[in-house]
Amino acid sequence: MKAIVDCNSFYCSCEKVFQPSLHNQPVVVLSNNDGCIISRSDEAKQLGVGMAGPYFLARPLIEKHNVAVFSSNYNLYGDMSWRVMDVLKQTVGAENVEVYSVDEAFLHLEQYTTGQLQTLSEYLRDTVEQWTSIRVSIGVGPTKTLAKIANRMAKQDKQRSQCILLFDTDEKIREALKITRVREIWGVGSRYADKLEQRGIRTAWDLQNLSEEWARKNLGGVVGVRLIKELRGEPAIEMKDALETKKMIATTRMFGCTVTELKDLKEAVATYAARAAEKLRRQNGAAAMISTFLVSQEKIDGPRFRHGPTTSACTTLLQPTALTNELIKPAVRMAEQLFVPGKKYKKAGVILSGIVPDSSIQSNLFEPTQSIGRFLMEQIDNINFSMRGDVVKFAASGTKRDWKMRQAFHSPRYTTRWDELCKVR
Amino acid sequence: MEGDNFFYASYKGSKDFTQQQVHTANATGFGAAADDYAERGIDLNEHLVKNKPATFFLRVNSDAMVGAGVHVGDVVIVDRSLEPKNGRLVIAVVDGELLIRKLEINNNQTRLTTANKRLASLDVTGMQLHIWGVVTYVIHKA
Repeated sequence: MKAIVDCNSFYCSCEKVFQPSLHNQPVVVLSNNDGCIISRSDEAKQLGVGMAGPYFLARPLIEKHNVAVFSSNYNLYGDMSWRVMDVLKQTVGAENVEVYSVDEAFLHLEQYTTGQLQTLSEYLRDTVEQWTSIRVSIGVGPTKTLAKIANRMAKQDKQRSQCILLFDTDEKIREALKITRVREIWGVGSRYADKLEQRGIRTAWDLQNLSEEWARKNLGGVVGVRLIKELRGEPAIEMKDALETKKMIATTRMFGCTVTELKDLKEAVATYAARAAEKLRRQNGAAAMISTFLVSQEKIDGPRFRHGPTTSACTTLLQPTALTNELIKPAVRMAEQLFVPGKKYKKAGVILSGIVPDSSIQSNLFEPTQSIGRFLMEQIDNINFSMRGDVVKFAASGTKRDWKMRQAFHSPRYTTRWDELCKVR
Repeated sequence: MEGDNFFYASYKGSKDFTQQQVHTANATGFGAAADDYAERGIDLNEHLVKNKPATFFLRVNSDAMVGAGVHVGDVVIVDRSLEPKNGRLVIAVVDGELLIRKLEINNNQTRLTTANKRLASLDVTGMQLHIWGVVTYVIHKA
């Protein structure tokens, strides 16, 4: 059997760990730059606060009900996530845990009998809450897709399910599939859902009754066949290795306010290039291509604004590199080329692609090797990592301005900074 | 139910090095002689953190437990996986606030006591007591 363990309102729950006065209180967490709502506690959902809506739209409701608002505190969420995953790994074995996202993990439970799964799920739910104070919902089924459906249903009625739902009989699976709409199935996008509904295929049960041949023709080939198999209880989506190296690394941010000066824009782009290079080195990669993009602001009918068109440029490097200085140079040069005087810029970003493992850099006869630069980068990363911030940076990134996010409601980084520990009285 | 506890958390500590990471023989000759006795140096984490995912560090901001040697500015190590027992230093949630107190359970009476004459102890008998975690160590600057 497979299980999916999913943290309930994860970001909000993390904010509640060190602020017990927020227990049973509505909480929301905002995205980078405080733009949108990205996590809501159950209490906030009940008040009718919408998901992924812009913060300013929900603001009247939030202020009326005194909802606690937080900027995203990824240092805290990352640390709490690792703790939750560690409990799971300690219990069922690290090789049986596939971390699927910051707040979800698939478990491979073939070593347990069906009769043990309820007790195991309860143990996991209770231990995670006891050790980390994070509540999880657990769905268990013969395949990943069915486990996802079980998890979804467990979350819908927490009172009844106590956050656990097991699909341990064919009967239970059949009943569940009949009340699950196709668009609620893991992996079915809204375009496919529309298409299916047009043909009268409304529930997961309808879908699993279709032939594999039909799915191959109409549901994107092998992906569709896998989906049908999974719904029928035949595992077709295998467990993946937890750590996947990224094919592409992007660092992009909205500016706190609009930018009109080339000098400022160059500083921002250099900062993003440095950040992307750091991520690249963390996965021991080197990039062969770098692109820079700028997004301007456009005014439409009076006071309303929208994103203007994105302009971008791409440079292929002579040799794959992970060195910040070699990446900043082309990034800034492209920003210069793209910049149009008089335009107001809202957002910029740097994308690294063509990523290869650093050890296998194909050396170019005409380029000197990188060993000294590599050593320098390691030292910079070490200093920045142990000091937890950009203590050492390239002058191109600017020395005065802070090109990071706008975060007006940031909570302390309770678990990663000595000077921000939670205080007890 | 029988067979309830068939799954036990495996290793809970913070030791994460292998034999290969221990420094070994070098050209001085001492290395060769001492080789068989090589081991890793003392790591405070091993001693202070018994269950890493359940362990949190908090900062003391009151003199409620000053008589028990817990001062303002001290760091307390809190293990949430331990069961709060009589006589232990705990972090309790009272009116939405985190308090460091001593838990006293006797004769069906439960109290959160202070170690400071100026601060009263709290009788929580019959109330729903929420213990956030159990204090395992206090780090105080000498």
